[in-house]
Amino acid sequence: MTSERGEAAAVPGLTRRADAGRDEVPDGGAARHGGKAPPSAASTRSPVTQRAWLPWAVGGLVLAACFGLQSQLYAGQERTVATVFMFVGLAQAWNLIGGYTGYACFGQVVFFGLGGYTTAALMAHAHVSFWLALPASGLLAAIWAALIGLPLLPLKGHYFAVATLGVAEGTREVVTNLPSLTGGGAGISIPTVGADATTGYLGNDGFYVLFLLLAAVSVLVVAIVSASKLGFALRAINQDEDAAASLGVHTTRTKVSVFALSGFLTGLLGAAYGFQQVTIFPARLFDVNFTVLMVIMVIIGGSGTVVGPVIGAAFLQFVSEYLRQHFTEAHPFILGAIVIVAVILLPQGVVSYAGSAWRNRDFSLLDNIRKYRL
Amino acid sequence: MLAVQGLSRRFGGLHAVADVSFTVPVGQTLGIIGPNGAGKSTLINLVTGHLRPSAGRVEVAGQDLTGARPWTVAKAGVARTFQIVKPFRGMTVRENVAIGLLYGRQGMRRMTAALTAADEVLDRVGLAGKAAATPGELTITDARRLEFAKALALRPRLLLLDEVMAGLRHTEIDPSLELIHRLKAEGMTIIAVEHVMKAILSISDRVLVLHQGRVLTDGAPRDVLSDPRVIEAYLGHRYARREQ
Repeated sequence: MTSERGEAAAVPGLTRRADAGRDEVPDGGAARHGGKAPPSAASTRSPVTQRAWLPWAVGGLVLAACFGLQSQLYAGQERTVATVFMFVGLAQAWNLIGGYTGYACFGQVVFFGLGGYTTAALMAHAHVSFWLALPASGLLAAIWAALIGLPLLPLKGHYFAVATLGVAEGTREVVTNLPSLTGGGAGISIPTVGADATTGYLGNDGFYVLFLLLAAVSVLVVAIVSASKLGFALRAINQDEDAAASLGVHTTRTKVSVFALSGFLTGLLGAAYGFQQVTIFPARLFDVNFTVLMVIMVIIGGSGTVVGPVIGAAFLQFVSEYLRQHFTEAHPFILGAIVIVAVILLPQGVVSYAGSAWRNRDFSLLDNIRKYRL
Repeated sequence: MLAVQGLSRRFGGLHAVADVSFTVPVGQTLGIIGPNGAGKSTLINLVTGHLRPSAGRVEVAGQDLTGARPWTVAKAGVARTFQIVKPFRGMTVRENVAIGLLYGRQGMRRMTAALTAADEVLDRVGLAGKAAATPGELTITDARRLEFAKALALRPRLLLLDEVMAGLRHTEIDPSLELIHRLKAEGMTIIAVEHVMKAILSISDRVLVLHQGRVLTDGAPRDVLSDPRVIEAYLGHRYARREQ
């Protein structure tokens, strides 16, 4: 490789082409190995200060619009949009560990399930208000993330993915086998009416607002992390962990903290979901499909970006809902096909594609595929 | 500045580094040479915390760093370059350098301040014009400069260079040498593992020869290189002839 570069430098015409190719290779390499796409160059390339308020203003407007949208929706639509908000939050939580840090966690649902069960157990057995159970659920999920993160985060790539998958399955079994606390396989019900109810059921309107706020918090957390010193450390770990450590980044502490933060957000969403469902079962709250959806949403949207997971979650959830209503039989088949096509055409995600396409004035999807050698 | 006492590292039955002891006083540049597999890179990795020693002791400026993790070593003021350049490919050159400023000995807190300070470091190594480029766009010489800049961002007291000349052509070596000489003039303590003899002779105040994990000899560059044992065993007859 060294001599190749040296020779190319001697021929001006070659240099430019070699440079253009090299520019894209690292991105492609990263994207092909489990969606570890680097942060969108658009956000890292531009000077920090100029028009820094613009994304915040847009975010605020979108949030206000979502509040305004509520009154315009039928009950069914309101539930669908609330689910989209839930997935926006979940995708963002996964984005922290899987997107920014590059540790593809395939057991993320464990924090979701733990959050739901903590809330259910606290409300049913300890008669705690939902508003106390909610942060407690996030906290317990964060503690569990830190505990499993210590032994698992030194593992890389596939090993980390498989190990977290194992932890999620194992935790589900433990929850199933503690019937006095969790109701076992038969499930547990949260009292929502009468004297036993600690917090009244929030109803469609209430859950819409709750999921919207949790999604907003998740996006805000990711946006803050992304722009902070911590975000830099996460990208450095993602791109070269040895180099990051030798530049003073305490890689173990950084990875464990961000995993705990990711677990915390996931736990909050699990708590809200558990309350919304009223009766929860291990098979549902620890369903591996939740993890898979988070991963797909982040990858389609653009991992390691703030906006990507929002787009990915909204797109996938709306398309899925539309297909469910109009193609009841073929729905999973069509959705699967769409995901495959999307990943082939845009392996680096919508946001990263848009960024580099805009910079290079090249919007050809074929060129994009070629660039990533798929 | 650096004191290494009886340092050893075994990989299974192989003694990659065996009972190595040496000290480097402040401001000195020590060259480490030896044939492939002599344990040079392992020695560097033991000092920087990328490997834990099986036995022995590492001290930097009186601080015991035996078995310390890489980030602790970095915060103690020890910077290193890697044999294969390790840029953060998704970041700009400026951001690559900012990492060391944010997390190293200086521990800057504000991003904007770190990015501004990064430009000063880039200026020092002659990369000021490339601050907004990505590492993939750099030439091999500039990629080496970036490696230097990242290390210097730690504001190091001790700089470990692991084959920074590897793969460079003769004309490309000179800018790196010039940079190292400038650092020497500023009083930096440097340890350079190197295969390129021209570089070793140019920068080293002292040369240490490793062979099969042990220190073979340690002394003034000319004396060491003319030592018959060194010529015979490590550099081979061809180099001995060329020198005469």
